[in-house]
Amino acid sequence: MKPLLQVRAIDKSYAGVQALRDAHLELFAGEVHALVGENGAGKSTLIKIITGAVEPDGGEIWLNGQRVAEISPRRAKELGIAAIYQQPALFPELSVAENIALGLESGGLLARVNWRARRQQAAALLARVGARILPDREAGALTMAEQQLVEIARAIGARSRILIMDEPTAALSEEETRHLFRVIGELRDAGVAVIYISHRLEELSAIADRVTVLRDGRTIGTYRMEELDRQQLIRLMVGRELSAVFPWRARKLGEPVLELCDFGSSTAGIENINLTVHAGEIVGLAGLVGAGRTELARAIFGLVPADRGELRLRGVPVRIGDPTQAIACGIAYLPEDRQRHGVIPEMAISANITLASLDALASPWGMDFRRERAIAAHYVQRLGIKTPSIYAPVQTLSGGNQQKVALGRWLATEPQVIILDEPTQGVDVGTKAEIHRLMIELAAQGAAILMISSEMPELLGMSDRIAVMREGTIVAQLAREEATQERVLALALGQ
Amino acid sequence: MPIKTEGSWRARLFPNNEWALVLVIAVECAIFGATGRNFLTAANGFEVARLGVELGLIAFALTPIIITGGIDLSVGSMMALAAVVLGGLWRDGHWPLPAAVLAALGVGLAGGGLNALLIARFRFPPLIVTLGTFSLFRGIAEGLTRGIENYSGFDPRFLFWGQGYVGGLIPTQLFVLVSVFLFYAHLVHRTAFGRSLRAIGFSAEGARYAGIRVARQLACLYVLSGFVSALAAIIYVAHLGQAKSDAGTGYELMAITSVVIGGTSIFGGHGTIWGTALGLFAIVILQNGLRLSGQPAELAGVLTGALLIATILIDRVVRRPKAPQVAQMNAEENTEVRNSQIAVLSIVILLAALIVAGSNWFLINSLRRELRSATGERATAGPAAHRTVIAMMPKAKGDPYFISCKQGADEAARELGVELLWDGPTELDPAKQNEVVEAWITRGVDAIAVSVENRVGISTVLRKARERGIKVLTWDADAERDARDFFVNQATPQGIGYTLTDEAARILGGRGEFAIITASLSAANQNEWIKYIKERLAQKYPDLKLVAIQPSEGDRDRAFAETQTVLKVYPNVRLIMAIAAPAVPGAAEAVKQAGRRDVKVIGLSLPSMCRTYIHEGIIESIVLWNTRDLGYLTVYAAQAAATGRLKRGDRQLEAGRLGRVEVADDEVRLGAPFIFNRENIDRFDF
Amino acid sequence: MKSVIWSRYKRELAAAVAYLALLVAVGAVAPSFYSAANLRDLLVNNAPVLIVATGMTMVIIVREIDISVGSQFAVCSVVAGLLAKAGAPIPLLIPALIAVGAAMGALNGWLIGRLRIPSIIATLAMYVAWRDALRWATQGAWVQGLPDDFQWFGLGQSRGQWLIVAAAIALLVFFAWALRNLRAGRALYAVGSQREAARLLGLNPSALVFGVFTLMGALVGLAALLNAVRFATVPSNAGTGLELKAIASVVVGGTAISGGRGTLIGTLIGTALLGTTGTALTFAGINPFWEKAMQGAIILVALISEVALGRLTHEPR
Ligand SMILES: Nc1ncnc2c1ncn2[C@@H]1O[C@H](COP(=O)(O)OP(=O)(O)OP(=O)(O)O)[C@@H](O)[C@H]1O
Ligand SMILES: [Mg+2]
Repeated sequence: MKPLLQVRAIDKSYAGVQALRDAHLELFAGEVHALVGENGAGKSTLIKIITGAVEPDGGEIWLNGQRVAEISPRRAKELGIAAIYQQPALFPELSVAENIALGLESGGLLARVNWRARRQQAAALLARVGARILPDREAGALTMAEQQLVEIARAIGARSRILIMDEPTAALSEEETRHLFRVIGELRDAGVAVIYISHRLEELSAIADRVTVLRDGRTIGTYRMEELDRQQLIRLMVGRELSAVFPWRARKLGEPVLELCDFGSSTAGIENINLTVHAGEIVGLAGLVGAGRTELARAIFGLVPADRGELRLRGVPVRIGDPTQAIACGIAYLPEDRQRHGVIPEMAISANITLASLDALASPWGMDFRRERAIAAHYVQRLGIKTPSIYAPVQTLSGGNQQKVALGRWLATEPQVIILDEPTQGVDVGTKAEIHRLMIELAAQGAAILMISSEMPELLGMSDRIAVMREGTIVAQLAREEATQERVLALALGQ
Repeated sequence: MPIKTEGSWRARLFPNNEWALVLVIAVECAIFGATGRNFLTAANGFEVARLGVELGLIAFALTPIIITGGIDLSVGSMMALAAVVLGGLWRDGHWPLPAAVLAALGVGLAGGGLNALLIARFRFPPLIVTLGTFSLFRGIAEGLTRGIENYSGFDPRFLFWGQGYVGGLIPTQLFVLVSVFLFYAHLVHRTAFGRSLRAIGFSAEGARYAGIRVARQLACLYVLSGFVSALAAIIYVAHLGQAKSDAGTGYELMAITSVVIGGTSIFGGHGTIWGTALGLFAIVILQNGLRLSGQPAELAGVLTGALLIATILIDRVVRRPKAPQVAQMNAEENTEVRNSQIAVLSIVILLAALIVAGSNWFLINSLRRELRSATGERATAGPAAHRTVIAMMPKAKGDPYFISCKQGADEAARELGVELLWDGPTELDPAKQNEVVEAWITRGVDAIAVSVENRVGISTVLRKARERGIKVLTWDADAERDARDFFVNQATPQGIGYTLTDEAARILGGRGEFAIITASLSAANQNEWIKYIKERLAQKYPDLKLVAIQPSEGDRDRAFAETQTVLKVYPNVRLIMAIAAPAVPGAAEAVKQAGRRDVKVIGLSLPSMCRTYIHEGIIESIVLWNTRDLGYLTVYAAQAAATGRLKRGDRQLEAGRLGRVEVADDEVRLGAPFIFNRENIDRFDF
Repeated sequence: MKSVIWSRYKRELAAAVAYLALLVAVGAVAPSFYSAANLRDLLVNNAPVLIVATGMTMVIIVREIDISVGSQFAVCSVVAGLLAKAGAPIPLLIPALIAVGAAMGALNGWLIGRLRIPSIIATLAMYVAWRDALRWATQGAWVQGLPDDFQWFGLGQSRGQWLIVAAAIALLVFFAWALRNLRAGRALYAVGSQREAARLLGLNPSALVFGVFTLMGALVGLAALLNAVRFATVPSNAGTGLELKAIASVVVGGTAISGGRGTLIGTLIGTALLGTTGTALTFAGINPFWEKAMQGAIILVALISEVALGRLTHEPR
């Protein structure tokens, strides 16, 4: 069989960074082809080159045995290539239906728009990916997961020969991920070639037929999925052994640090939250998308007004009106929407890392820039952020490295209560393990950690206790020993 | 690979490639140094700096606001409000001056507070809010002073802040500018506050998630901007020696121009204070240099446009794709750069060629001039056969009235063989006339003749010119008596006002209603005329009723619309008196289109603009003098004064084709105003 | 569904409510404001502004701005006068002026779309350059002695007036329809909302920006002509302050300066609000010295009415 797509000897360098060197990839119709590699390995760059979003410095792209000379997003669309990029590419001011339609409609600029058809098409596609989103909603008001689902719907609707997905499941919960896999399976059976990028290695064995490993911008090789076990795959990606077990160990719990009594917020739609997090404890927050986990975090952090119940810190009731107060109280919140909330993409890494602790840098003579440099360099090193300079704008980093910057910002505030919303989304295995180690380390130093995660193994593996949320309230709390995947899921679903 | 923790000095100092402006300024200085007289002197350097002070203060205040992605359009209007509050409290409220100054600053804080409340607290878009306060503040200033009040006669110790020199060389207000610059530079670039502003500019929501109090920071900035605008107003009042509701007109746009040319992005995030300072001086130096080179001011506009684009293009060409600054580098931008490089290069080459050609032309011109005067010297063999330079200024360059004056002036200059510099404001800014005179003083001319817009404001600088031995004349409108040697008087405001009123009374038969369409509500001349019109009405025509005074802003179309409205709101009006040149045809057209044959139009305008309406019988008559003769006579008088042929106490002056012209003490008289009507209009062709 | 409409048009509605309140108040004080003659005059006087504001709405929707419209307007007016004076057939002026305006707009479009110069800088440059170049060329002289059929295209006053108003309304309706129902219109919103995302979906932002500025120029050319034919002479300083008037009308009408959001209905309301308050205040007997202050206050009241209309829903900043 002849390959549908061949990518040969691609080179690409950015300011001071060689993102790809001599990368290649071969894709057949009717296969799901996984693309894996560490953060910054060049995966996203490679697929952007395939869709024409980025111009390569050298190399060739062959489609159906023919060389494609110049490729642009428009040309790629005509050639039947559709993609979901890692950074959401939605139009926040426009409706969901329109966001979907703009990617699908072809025809000249003078063609008429059929609003009814757009809405129906959107509803059908959203139903296909299992999303309950009104087509008339404004895209800017969607949650991360919803945005991701809209993008998936748009990509699937393109009826393309090649479908590229860059970490589509980073923000999705188990339930939605399973639904997505079903759809991908259908597409594969219909002869579509799928390129699938993910850091969740467990997923790959469930869905991928073959896998190509990238390291430092080079293609290491392509393998059949059955050939490799998880350990081998990791070794290929990272180039060394990594332990696969979570670094959890039993710790002595201290005083209660964060106490919520009948806590709630009418604007955020959560109520009757009773939860205690002790010093040194990691509490996992489970639930489906829309269960109110992020809303709870936002209410604690003062982003939405909490108007019911009480919040106590180390036994003292406090009122938190805005994030500034929350930070002053020693609370940190790593948000799930990295691009919009987690980092300021245009700003330098150093500025991003110190943004939440600017007060600590203030002196009567202005900012202490030397200390800023030291802090930034420290976290860049500690988190292993891959960058040539601490002054590089965050948007030039790969997705996973951006996540590390977002995390670094909160570590720099030296918080007592840390709320982590999907802390390892888009982070490679190696870094994920590092972040997990870091969490344990912080907990051991006495921090109280509240972790929201849609990745069940992470939740089960890292938490001392799991609180399950459904419909805006906590329905159950399970100790580490009693928590199993099935039980948590059943509680989250309300069965 | 080791991680770099030191930014390159270029990226740190000029993150938006502001150095391109340094280059531009250097080129400007080189060109004007060669072509402008006395351009490269320390005194001129400080003078240029002085010109930029008020604008600079506002531009500095705007920079951080624009960095946050906001805008403040109300700064110029705030200057007006602060200025009239200062003047009003001091003169009419009998407050001590320092207290009035404090009150003005308080008004600035309050006005800024209003902006802050609406923008930061209620989260309305800054553009709309400040568009509203832009109207509101100036409107209040106009309402409080009825547009007329012009506070002057301030204590010299106060005026020192706008006119004095420290150590005989450095203008006082420069210290204010430098301190405000240092303050803002520190605030924006060296503090945590400044850092948070950038974060807000890139993403207000992202900043909030990082614990930045967005609303509070924004509120601070807008309050500060109100305060600095008030400070600028105080300097402005001290500079011009007068406080009036037209202070700071158009400053917002000029300030924004300096800010964006200095590399600040209106979408927020990027920008430096020194970029703004460089942008400001690039523009101010251009204007000053052109004046000193005797080039027409219109060039300034075209060149400013070229400057804006060239700065960006230099930046584009030099900023290679390798530079770490290129943030989102995508294929589009890559190809764009590649495709456009040729275009860009050719434009830059073109511009460079233009500049070279231009400077050659300047050089050749001046060489030729030198040669000519050298040969002339030999021919006349006189020791002082230096060619007289007469600088003449209209109130507004584009005004048809002054254009016809210029024709006469050119004619006289040709006859006398003098060099005539003709320059003046092209915009509504009342401070512009002072700038032009300052430049002439620096350049060194033999005589200056000014048609005065702001009596008090310009007198200070005219006195300075006299001290430097330059003969100073006024024409068309007078300055204070001791500020000039002679006044070429075509008609007194009293004469104009009385003549117009008499004419109206004649047409209406002594009774009935009429309305006035004026220039702008704060126009000094028009307000003077209106004063005499009212005086005459009270004296002589009790049955003649003035029902409305509407502004036209010197715009024909606006005069047209205002007249339409007046005709409907006051159906009994039988006469429209339009007292600005473009307003007369506008009013006439409105009367014509309304089909109101019972309403007549009179006013003050040029015959050529009104001829058809006079023939149609819509305009009954217009009052004016022979504008061409006015320009002609002014040049003759200036030349005579400069060469010492005309001295105080002379009874008459020989003025070319006008023959002997009467001189009374320090006034050269053109003759009485003239009434143009259907019978005589065709005899005049200006 | 109701709430969707409400949220889609809430900015426009706020301006509309403020406007209606003003109209009612004026009606109570001075009913003659509603005379047919006055309404007609208001329509005719504001038609050129409305045409320019229509174009400006599209420019702002793509997240750009055009400061140069006033100067282009002046150049086009003078060109119209000179062409007519040179004996060009009057009907031919319409395509000619559209072409002249489009050419100037295309220059802006080239600088902004192709060379990626920020629109505020490029159009600021053109604003000063065109205005001063014109001043230089004409030396302030008006174009006079035009042929008789220049005024009202030779159609006579009342037919000419209706032609102008009809043209402005037709353009507004057409572009309102096109913005909502043509792919090109939706593409403008997409580019204004997220330029990079639009590019990734296969749209060509540079070309669209170029097109919008060219269109803006063409509309300015047409507006200048329609304005010029109301008179028998052409002044050389037409359109002073037009840029601010047009931008103000657009943003008061609810179009977001940050792009991707806005409607022409809003622009219509904004133009009406700003274009008639001056006259309305004169009718209401407000002293002209306080007129400017009142106008500013009205803009602010229109804003605050947005709060009164229940905007205090959380819209995180
Ligand atoms: N616009 C850009 N400017 C400069 N450098 C860039 C840019 N985009 C990517 N890079 C660099 O190119 C390298 C590859 O990035 P890429 O986004 O392809 O990584 P990735 O494999 O997708 O990583 P991740 O798993 O974290 O998403 C990184 O080192 C990144 O810093
Ligand atoms: Mg990636």
